[in-house]
Amino acid sequence: MGGEVLVPQPTGDTKEFWEGCKGKKLLFQQCEACGHVRWPPSCLCPVCHSLEARWIDSSGRGKIYTFTVYHVAFHPAWKEKVPYITAVVELEEGPRLLTNVVDADPQTLSCDMPVEVVWGKAGEYFVPRFRLVG
Amino acid sequence: MWLRDLSSGSPKSRKTFWGLKEKYAIVGVGYTPQGKVPGRTALSFHLEACAKAIVDAGMKKEDIDGLICYRRFSPKLGEPEVTPYLLAQVLGITPRYLTQEANCARTHLFHAMAALEMGLCNYVLISYADNALSGRRTFIEEDTHGEPPGDLLLYGQMGFTADYAMAARRAMATFKTGPETWKEIAVAQRKWAALNPRAALCNKPLTYEDYYSSPMVTEPFRLCDACLISDGGRAIVVTSVERARDLKHPVVAIMGLGMANPSYDVHQSPFLAGPTGARKGGKQAFEMAGITLEDIDACQIYDCFTYTVEITLQDYGFFGPGEGGDWFREVGIGPGGRMPVNTSGGLLAEAYFMGLTPLSEGVMQLMGRCGDRQLGPKTGNKEPEVILVSDNGGVLQTHCCTILRRL
Repeated sequence: MGGEVLVPQPTGDTKEFWEGCKGKKLLFQQCEACGHVRWPPSCLCPVCHSLEARWIDSSGRGKIYTFTVYHVAFHPAWKEKVPYITAVVELEEGPRLLTNVVDADPQTLSCDMPVEVVWGKAGEYFVPRFRLVG
Repeated sequence: MWLRDLSSGSPKSRKTFWGLKEKYAIVGVGYTPQGKVPGRTALSFHLEACAKAIVDAGMKKEDIDGLICYRRFSPKLGEPEVTPYLLAQVLGITPRYLTQEANCARTHLFHAMAALEMGLCNYVLISYADNALSGRRTFIEEDTHGEPPGDLLLYGQMGFTADYAMAARRAMATFKTGPETWKEIAVAQRKWAALNPRAALCNKPLTYEDYYSSPMVTEPFRLCDACLISDGGRAIVVTSVERARDLKHPVVAIMGLGMANPSYDVHQSPFLAGPTGARKGGKQAFEMAGITLEDIDACQIYDCFTYTVEITLQDYGFFGPGEGGDWFREVGIGPGGRMPVNTSGGLLAEAYFMGLTPLSEGVMQLMGRCGDRQLGPKTGNKEPEVILVSDNGGVLQTHCCTILRRL
């Protein structure tokens, strides 16, 4: 696993996304030609191959598409945190984001539950995680 | 989503492809010591598997003019990387055709058959080996995603066990499945392993109770839902059926072959609960073979996790979504069952040599060389003529379906 330091390491493709996270904005690219909202960030629309895109501000609301509960830590940084939940959250705008669900009882969690973004501090950035709504 | 329909190609390409039915055969299998085998390099397992496959086929090393390394691995324990040219050098051969898969595209049989069909070579050796258990490979570096690895570490998302657990969880929300279904697979495969002295878990029987008391790793997966990590290697030799007739074993021909690569990463995948590549890859293989599920005598299914077996058989059409649990119980996939599955114990209980574990077992069963686990009177199963073999890579991102027939 790369990067022992648990702060974002932006790449040429992800730098705008992480810049947004500094200000607690969850940004996704929307294709200027066909309107498809995509993730992960890329220079090309996978639907129509347009190279033109703009960054839109997500509502931060979505639902759990799937999730898993880690009972084993595969990295020392997560040793004290088991059991913890990683999830794929489907945002209202369409993209599916790998993230965590926090402040939830793993035993009562199920797919399709509504969630909203909460921000965890990591260096100069905030990292998007999600919690159950209501 | 926007996944394109991957049909079997134009009528012309279909005809060309279907013309390869039973034109090529697998003629030799090489085994090594396997399981926990400390003190050996990955290269040494490759070499032993290759040398034994060549002898098993009744050939000389000079005959080998094609060499395919099943998959590239980052080396462990400070060893040199096993490149296909290093392997060729130490085998003492200079093959005309040489290649290696970087990740998990599962195209080795396509490469082999293409090189043979082009007349580039006559005998292709395919080899897999790793000292994964002694080298403590955790299959985390090998797990590729669209996001940078450092970003995934921010969320603690690491490795295939969690990825496949996410697929299985989505399936649980989509149709009736879960540990109740998967325990049938884990328990039945362990029964097969008990008949296989090479299997790592040969002497470790598994009951339903044992399954449920197996520790959770990444929910909904328990340890018993996950495949082994193994030291060792496996190799096979592929050549034409024509040449195979002059070699020493019964001819096991490639009757059908199909491939489909849905490709999408698990974090964006629309097919975690199926249809996976098994649907289209399977259809292609059956079309080429000109047979139906009714003609299949046994299955060797890529079983990185129990759920993979369920979704693959489901997508091949053995049962409808959510009917797997009942099907496993009623049909029976263990010794004496009506549809034997993973008769060596598979990746779950024999050894993890990726797709060469199921493929080589299919070949050995059809050759009639499986000892106590040999399908037939000994196990209370039909003597097999046709065996269905699957392989998949990434997290259900690639798929290869192979149908083998004993001529």
